[in-house]
Amino acid sequence: MLDFLYQTGWGAFTLMLLFQIPFLLVFPYIVYRKCFVNPKPGNTNPRKMTRLETVWIVSAIALFVIVNLYSISYMPMSRTAATEKTAAVIQDVDVTARSWSYEISNRQFEVGKPVRFSVKSVDTMHGFTVYHPNGKILFNMMLIPGLEKPSSLVYTFTEPGKYKVRCLEYCGIAHHGMQDELTVVKSDG
Amino acid sequence: MLTATIRRTPILGKMFDVDESTGLSDINTWPAMMIMTSFVWLIVAILLGALMPVIQMAELDANLFYSAITLHGAALAFPFLFQFMMGISLHRSGGCMGKSASGKLTTLIYLCMNGGAVLLTLAVLGGLKITYTVMYPLPLVGAQMGAWSMNMVVLGFTGIALVLTSIIFLYPLQIIRMSFFGKQREELLLSARTLKDPGMLGMVMSVMILLVTGTPLMIVAGALLLALYGIVPLEAIAWASEPVVFQYVFYIFAHNLMEAMAIMVISAVYATLPLYLADGTRKLYSDKLANLALWILLVTSVTSFFHHFYTTNPGLPSALAYHGNFMSWATGVGAALSTFTILATIWKHGIKPEPGLMAILAGFVVYILDGVNAMVAGNIAVSYQVHGTLWVGGHAMSVLIAMCLMWMGVLYHHYPVITGKKLDKKLGSRFVTLYFIGAVGLLYSFAAGGAMGMPRRFADWDAGPDGWMMVGIAILIFGLFLIAGFVTYMQNFMRSRSIS
Ligand code: HEM
Ligand SMILES: [Cu+2]
Repeated sequence: MLDFLYQTGWGAFTLMLLFQIPFLLVFPYIVYRKCFVNPKPGNTNPRKMTRLETVWIVSAIALFVIVNLYSISYMPMSRTAATEKTAAVIQDVDVTARSWSYEISNRQFEVGKPVRFSVKSVDTMHGFTVYHPNGKILFNMMLIPGLEKPSSLVYTFTEPGKYKVRCLEYCGIAHHGMQDELTVVKSDG
Repeated sequence: MLTATIRRTPILGKMFDVDESTGLSDINTWPAMMIMTSFVWLIVAILLGALMPVIQMAELDANLFYSAITLHGAALAFPFLFQFMMGISLHRSGGCMGKSASGKLTTLIYLCMNGGAVLLTLAVLGGLKITYTVMYPLPLVGAQMGAWSMNMVVLGFTGIALVLTSIIFLYPLQIIRMSFFGKQREELLLSARTLKDPGMLGMVMSVMILLVTGTPLMIVAGALLLALYGIVPLEAIAWASEPVVFQYVFYIFAHNLMEAMAIMVISAVYATLPLYLADGTRKLYSDKLANLALWILLVTSVTSFFHHFYTTNPGLPSALAYHGNFMSWATGVGAALSTFTILATIWKHGIKPEPGLMAILAGFVVYILDGVNAMVAGNIAVSYQVHGTLWVGGHAMSVLIAMCLMWMGVLYHHYPVITGKKLDKKLGSRFVTLYFIGAVGLLYSFAAGGAMGMPRRFADWDAGPDGWMMVGIAILIFGLFLIAGFVTYMQNFMRSRSIS
């Protein structure tokens, strides 16, 4: 469940609905009631209102905190750090982006072996986004030219197949053509 | 003279013909001029919005798509929406402070905004396709690669600099001047407000944000411009031409520009809502709570811009990423407070079903829906899924569309004072309905595209799964609803009748 929420686009969509739906239930309802049904002053006992206000704010804050705390272990920096601690070997891949192609030091990987992508741009802003064969985004990087440290993270592929790479930062008239492909094979060991 | 210019303008002139009999010309004429001009930009740019999905379906040229997106984004954000907002808020400040909203400074605001936008438009037509976020150093790299000429870069940057001067310096100076200096003129005072009033506080806060967060960008952009003109050598401004420097000063400003515009419109909502209460009390549930919400928005927004850079990690140190994540969600606390204040006000006093107020409330709903969309993307883990997709493109667009609807509601309220004419209720409600359907539909369509991994600013929707083109079709359909909403709004202005 958490994998879905924090690691897929539709999970993000679900998270969004989780917050929007309560709002959509409460706000239009009160507007409708006090506008069309009965615009007479509502009961606003100050004590009650203060309590309501507290409940409203505290539950909002609590939800905000929970959603973000649970996400921590899904953040690429914590994933990367965790893999670095446990993995015996991490395969290093250097990527150089320029308008409108990638230079990739290795395009073939094995299932289950962590890969560290270190990606740099040498001309303008580019992206390096890897798509699962089923079309979902696995991760996303933004590349600012001139940054000393390349954008970097460790990722472990879990399924064999052809993985599309796309640039997701607008980089000029052939931006949509800036793509590449990675191949993931079953591990032989 | 200005009144005559407005009157002589074909079609739109009739909508904004200022009522001179009231003696309020000093707070009405320039605002009317700005609002009218902003509509010209709207009409052109919104058609370009509808053109984008059409280009994709008909498989037209990618260059056309990138020109359309550049003009659509730039024109709707600045000479349309920002100018629309300036027009209304200059009128509001004038009426609340009893100060003239005209004069040299206002003229200059108008000329810089529209002159700059015209120059940028010419540059785009001349080949410059850099989107409204400039994507620096793309303008220079594109020129080196022969995608467009250096002349167009110089022309475009000059235009952008003029627009930014208007937004970052001239407009804030005018609002500050009106709020703190000069003599009050009794005859201009329509409804006196002080800075303790949430309806005024937000206005001053937001111009301060523009001034403070925009100045670094002005310095960097100014240095670049001097180099482009050949006045100083490029090496001398190496500190400014660094892409990282530009990207950071850009987003410090661009993010806060959106927040400033949001604070300004929320404060206008706080000022307008009480005027429509059913029991006639004209008071918010709590001014203190309203002000607190504005302060929270102010404080949390300033450093949440780091969320634009999560995916450059470790280029953006993790600590700053966490900070950006925290601040982005903390803005939500301000929004939760605003929601509570508005609901409690409505609950306590009841409201009248006037189209202007309905537009404001519908706009607020879209604003909150979009705020959630933004907060979710402001989570680091999620950002690695949706950054660079239509999700974020949709957020940028939806927040503007939401603010636009709230301002349209506020203008609905001020329109009779400016023109001496009254609007039709039925057309008003129809406009709110059409616009609201369009806005919500666009928001979810863009988010769905993002969920499917559909890139933003990407001239090949055919390259992905079928779902991408379906999203494109949904964008076109809901876009047409939005356009129908705008048309109805203008139709109402066209048909408005003299009050007397
Ligand atoms: C008040 C109305 C509107 C505003 C303020 C607005 C604003 C924007 C902005 C700021 C962008 C981002 C541009 C960029 O990423 O460079 C954008 C993109 C876009 N807008 Fe609008 N827009 C409006 C109405 C519409 C309408 C009516 C349509 C469609 C019929 C539309 C379709 C699009 C499309 C297709 C994109 C490009 C998405 C992408 O590929 O990233 N917009 N809009
Ligand atoms: Cu690229």
